[in-house]
Amino acid sequence: METWKRWNLPKNEDTRVHRIGDRRICVAVDMVGDQYVLAAMALPPEASRGSRLALPSLSDKAWTRFFMDKAEDYELAPAYPPMPTCIRLKQPFSLAPGSTVEGWIFSRIEASILVNGARIASFPLATPYKTLYGSPEAGVICRYDEEEFLAAAEPLASSLHADQRFVAHPVRLRNASAEPVEVSDLCIYGEQLSIVGDEKTMQSERLLFVFSSSGVRMSLDGTTLLPLGSRVMAKPAVSGEERFIVRSFELFKNMTRI
Amino acid sequence: MQATTTLAEAAPEVASAPSRFWEIIPLDNAIFEQLFTVDTAITVARVVLTAALGFIFVGLVITVLRKVVTKRMEARSGGLVVKIAQYLGFAFIAISVLDAAGVNLSALLGAAGIAGIAIGFAAQTSVSNFISGFFIVSEKTFSQGDVIDVDGTSGLVHSIDAMSVKLRTFDNRLIRIPNETLIKSNVKTITRFPIRRLNMDILVTYDTDIERARQVLLELAAAEPNALRSPEPVFMVSGFRDSGIALFFGVWFATNEWFDGNNAMHIAVKKRFDEEGIRFALPTRTVYQGKAVAAPKKPGARRAAAGGPRGNNGS
Repeated sequence: METWKRWNLPKNEDTRVHRIGDRRICVAVDMVGDQYVLAAMALPPEASRGSRLALPSLSDKAWTRFFMDKAEDYELAPAYPPMPTCIRLKQPFSLAPGSTVEGWIFSRIEASILVNGARIASFPLATPYKTLYGSPEAGVICRYDEEEFLAAAEPLASSLHADQRFVAHPVRLRNASAEPVEVSDLCIYGEQLSIVGDEKTMQSERLLFVFSSSGVRMSLDGTTLLPLGSRVMAKPAVSGEERFIVRSFELFKNMTRI
Repeated sequence: MQATTTLAEAAPEVASAPSRFWEIIPLDNAIFEQLFTVDTAITVARVVLTAALGFIFVGLVITVLRKVVTKRMEARSGGLVVKIAQYLGFAFIAISVLDAAGVNLSALLGAAGIAGIAIGFAAQTSVSNFISGFFIVSEKTFSQGDVIDVDGTSGLVHSIDAMSVKLRTFDNRLIRIPNETLIKSNVKTITRFPIRRLNMDILVTYDTDIERARQVLLELAAAEPNALRSPEPVFMVSGFRDSGIALFFGVWFATNEWFDGNNAMHIAVKKRFDEEGIRFALPTRTVYQGKAVAAPKKPGARRAAAGGPRGNNGS
């Protein structure tokens, strides 16, 4: 069943439940005067185990409420977390000086609800843990993910990692320093990236990580081959120059993992 | 016709006005001649020109400085620098104008120096605060919006002014701390860095399995969503105390989430320790109960009681 699409308001039905992985996103409609109010909340996995869902009343603070005005529908779309994501590789590896390796990393996405293109709520699809990327003086607080690094230059087969909760990132890692570097953490800034793909397999633009003596620099690495039939599911939150060079450089220039 | 007559009548009255003026201040007045000489005119022109050029020059410098500080400094520090540059510029204009007017500056500066010393003594505290303000701004120990602790007084930096720093405490009071006091005090900037460690000192009873306590604490940190995975939590056995074993457990949080993390971790530790049967140690005193036993007498003492030292007992 297709999840990432535009949905009509559940006016004449009970709470609508979207199941994504082991999470459930509940959407209901409330009336305030003659206005419709969209109410949304996420249920953790333990709350979904029972056969019958026990939801709080629509006036409870657990619900995110939004006046619909004249809007008649909402969109459920994948989205990056509102903060950078630090992906800790399950098996760190060393990169020789001057060498380049291509591969894939994966990060967890959130389920966002958009009304007229504006994001009104976003729900993590797993417990959102945090970590620090960089030094304690100048690091960045990131969403924590622990995933594998797949060293493969070929386009990702759709049968692999076909999970609605993850987005795949094709990456190129280059060691521009004179010393070997250990690649253990890779930090991506989701607001610079888009999500393209289909219902099951999603991926972002290709990313280039350059390890040098001054730190790690992340930038977009041109275009990449997309699977057939893929569509743009989420656009970058920033655009233009900021998206490509300036922001990433400013953000990561003081950090080093060498 | 009547209008023409009126104009003709009015004309002699207008013409007579200058003659009256020169009757009051005649052209051959000696004072006038002394005041309005060519030299005086040149001096006045020089003063006006100096003032005009001075204002233009200082204005340009201030404009450039303002642009530079806007880009490179925070608003409060930049404003202070611009203000000081303005005062210096005005002083420069004043001195240049007086010099152009031919005023003897050495005497004036001498008088100003004496006056400066007198004012300096009178306003010693204010001057000290003012100069301390420079060091505070230049050191960049904290900035507006930071949370700082000054000798036990903590709060949000409300403003950094020329004479003082104003803090808004967490119970919403405004506290003014003179800059001089800040320079002399130990200032802790709590929100300077992005992360902050929660330090938990835990005292458990001597029958506690320390390894189990360590495992429980690490599990709690791993389960707390706001606790950072990196840097990793720190566990340490601080030592053996009178009442129990002192444990130290440090968990890192984003600075702005430290408060919530503090509450969450303390609640979680109490709940989990209760479940695990790990007891917190309270101040205790161990009292051993037993029968009083008479101390054995020393052999020397018995001999002394019997007859004194052997040396004195010889035959």
